[in-house]
Amino acid sequence: MARKRNPARLVIALSVAAVLAVFLLYTSIAGDGTPSLAPSALAGKKGVVTLVGDVRPGYRGDSYAGGLRFKLSDRDGASKQTVTVVYTGSVSDQFRAGREVSVKGELRNGTFVAVKDSLVTKCPSKYTAKKS
Amino acid sequence: MPELGRAALVATLGLVLYALVAGAVAARTRRRRLAESAQTALLLTFVTTGVATLVLLLAFARNDYSFVYVWELTSDQLPIQYTLAALWGGQAGSLLFWLLLLTVYSAAAVLLNRRASRDLTVWVVPVLATVMLFFAFMLVVVSSPFATQVAPADGRGLNPSLQNPYMLVHPIFLYLGYVGLTIPFAFAIGSLLARRKDERWIVATRRATLVAWTALGVGQLIGSKWAYEEVGWGGFYAWDPVENAALMPWLAATAFLHSVMVQEKRGMLRLWNVLLVILAFSLSIFGTFLTRSGILSSVHSFTESPIGAWFLGFLAFVVLGSLLLVFARLPLLRTRARLESLVSREATFLYNNLLLVALTLTILWGVTYPIVHEMFLGESRIVGPGYYNFFFVIFGLPLLLLMGIGPLVAWRRASLRSLGLTFAWPAGVAAVTGLVLLALGAGSSIPGLIAYSFSAFVLASIGLEFVRGTRARRALSGGSWPSAFAALVSRNRRRYGGYIVHASIVVLAIGIAGASLYDSVGEGRLTRGSSLAVGDYRLTYRDLVERPGANATLVRAVLDVERGGEQLGVVEAGKNAYTVERQVSNEVGVRTDYLTGEDLFVIAEQVNPDGSVYLRVFVKPLVNLLWLAGFIFLLGSLITLWPDAREQRRLAVRYRGAEAHADS
Amino acid sequence: MSLALVLGALLAAACVILVARPYLREPVTEHDAIEGPGELGQRWLELSEVRDRALGALKELELDHRTGKVSDEDYRELVGPLRREAADALRALEPRASAQERVKAERPG
Repeated sequence: MARKRNPARLVIALSVAAVLAVFLLYTSIAGDGTPSLAPSALAGKKGVVTLVGDVRPGYRGDSYAGGLRFKLSDRDGASKQTVTVVYTGSVSDQFRAGREVSVKGELRNGTFVAVKDSLVTKCPSKYTAKKS
Repeated sequence: MPELGRAALVATLGLVLYALVAGAVAARTRRRRLAESAQTALLLTFVTTGVATLVLLLAFARNDYSFVYVWELTSDQLPIQYTLAALWGGQAGSLLFWLLLLTVYSAAAVLLNRRASRDLTVWVVPVLATVMLFFAFMLVVVSSPFATQVAPADGRGLNPSLQNPYMLVHPIFLYLGYVGLTIPFAFAIGSLLARRKDERWIVATRRATLVAWTALGVGQLIGSKWAYEEVGWGGFYAWDPVENAALMPWLAATAFLHSVMVQEKRGMLRLWNVLLVILAFSLSIFGTFLTRSGILSSVHSFTESPIGAWFLGFLAFVVLGSLLLVFARLPLLRTRARLESLVSREATFLYNNLLLVALTLTILWGVTYPIVHEMFLGESRIVGPGYYNFFFVIFGLPLLLLMGIGPLVAWRRASLRSLGLTFAWPAGVAAVTGLVLLALGAGSSIPGLIAYSFSAFVLASIGLEFVRGTRARRALSGGSWPSAFAALVSRNRRRYGGYIVHASIVVLAIGIAGASLYDSVGEGRLTRGSSLAVGDYRLTYRDLVERPGANATLVRAVLDVERGGEQLGVVEAGKNAYTVERQVSNEVGVRTDYLTGEDLFVIAEQVNPDGSVYLRVFVKPLVNLLWLAGFIFLLGSLITLWPDAREQRRLAVRYRGAEAHADS
Repeated sequence: MSLALVLGALLAAACVILVARPYLREPVTEHDAIEGPGELGQRWLELSEVRDRALGALKELELDHRTGKVSDEDYRELVGPLRREAADALRALEPRASAQERVKAERPG
């Protein structure tokens, strides 16, 4: 009875190679995620990024009519810098001054113009997922 | 009373330390009385932890706000069921609940196994004690549920989105799942420590693993339903790290459930199984670490407390320790059996495992990538749903197909000749289904069309299995079709229960494809009397109403629904304003068409002072198949779990025989 | 407060007594060793696993053949070696089995 080489090892090796290949292909085409920035790090950045920060008091506007304008500063007051965000789309009920939010968009002429419906409000207590 | 709770937890810690030290010494030196003593200590942890839990529950029942934990999560107005369920609603209480479940699982595992394999159980006890030690330590030193204060007049109240029947049961199922994975892990490690070469550890823990896996699956589905109805953004899964935290161990456990079958039937994959069970358990700890540490900017987040560091440390200890042990005992795990053919049931199980592990690791990478990127390059990144959805489709579609291929392929070696015959029917059904659906317009989504065709293939192959099996049974022992069917399932519980579980996954896949790939959406601002058309539906905004609720004011936009000229009734969507918690929650309106499984999903994004509303409306085809799948899944699982007297006897003979041959 | 203290003390005392019970019941004993399967028992376990696997494989082959998954030719090809394997395994587990028979059963095929 001759000892055949175990095909299982070959299969596993090929599969790993295949997965890695698919992976590399995906990341080269779709990119590796959008940068996640604090407002103080936004200056000068080009392209679509995700801004994460705390909502400053004093926001106005209607996200479904003309846009909601609010200011974001660094999480936990790490910096005094703020960024003005203009946002259209759905807003979670959890949205208010002091809450941490993330929003996707682009810096244009000093204002962060948000992608519609990309506002996500993080809830202060556990178990609460409030997506917009 | 909090003193009793604290004392009970200290007692637990003491018992666990004793069980660990005495148990390890007893195992090493093979001392029976010491081992019995250590076992008793482990069993008693259920009593002491139970006392602590009761103290906390009583505090909740009495609205005793001198307990900080009770004050943080409840209020006088909160309905009783949510008050009691708040036991696991916060950090410390959820750790206590985890520990309680662990003591229950451990007690059951030890009691059921202590006579049958003394030498294995003697090592399992200190391993279980090690895991318990971590949680007991956390509860006594780091995060106690028995912190006290001067009692305020009322509690802070529970977050409104948790005041939902699904949230009463979702954590129970999830924890039954997470904690249950400790048992096969402990037995695997115990078996290595005891230097055993046989598969007793698998046999002993098969039921626990199945229960844990089923609970984890059902728990996730309940969580999805909650997300769908309560969070209400129109979806049911967002690839949020917390959701992934439950999915990853479940996928690893699914792979494990399949690969242990290969070890059972062919004696192969022994090293792989041990590594898989370590992976599954580690992922369950990792998952809870993710949820609690606040390390990721996810939409869910526990408080950013030092507890994360402790969990990470424990996780590192578990992974490194287990791997070192495996490396040291590698000779025990060697196997002589070989994969005879790439076209065999073992091979399909291997492919299934590779796909599941690949998907698990892909999700793991997606979850940890932002942290890694931030650590090494200073800047954080967000991994969006696009990444996860892509790999879910790439790995999921072949997995779906394999569910139909596996059962049709014989063990060891399947000739292409046999395959051609058995595949013909299901492949035909799949092809016809694909063409029909294409004609009906399903070509708008290629992955969706493929998913549906594969689903048809799998359902056909499962159906054929039942038909052929029943026919063969009838040919063998006569009787009517129903009685032959019952006998077939009853005599092959694991096989046919497994087929039913597979069918449930197919139903799930169809539901996911329909709701995600073939849905429609529309939005707009409506004043009283105006209407919005989405898909085949037309919604007309009738009026805005306000109603008082148990602990909130309910504001609802009333909408008339019409489809194809037919009036379908009314749907309401709006907001709840919670008085005590001073929060507003979104309440979606869902109209389910039970015939087609389709949902009309209405979100009142904005209710304006002038009475107009901004609506977002989804039409979600087949989404209710997801919840139906849950029931089928549970049924299949129960059938598989049902004890088989014949199998029990066979195993009993095997292990009694071993003892009879033992060196005296 | 004092009730909690009393209850706590009772709990602790009960735990200590129960944990010490093996030593209280048998302060001195000759049979304090835990018996594992040992060398012989382990071999027996492995052989019974081989036996169960062979018998299970036969049962599955029969079921697969009856339900039409395995064709008649394939069945005839596979059933012979499987029956031999099962026979070897059963023989190896007999009390008078020779070492040779045991080794043969452990290496099927």
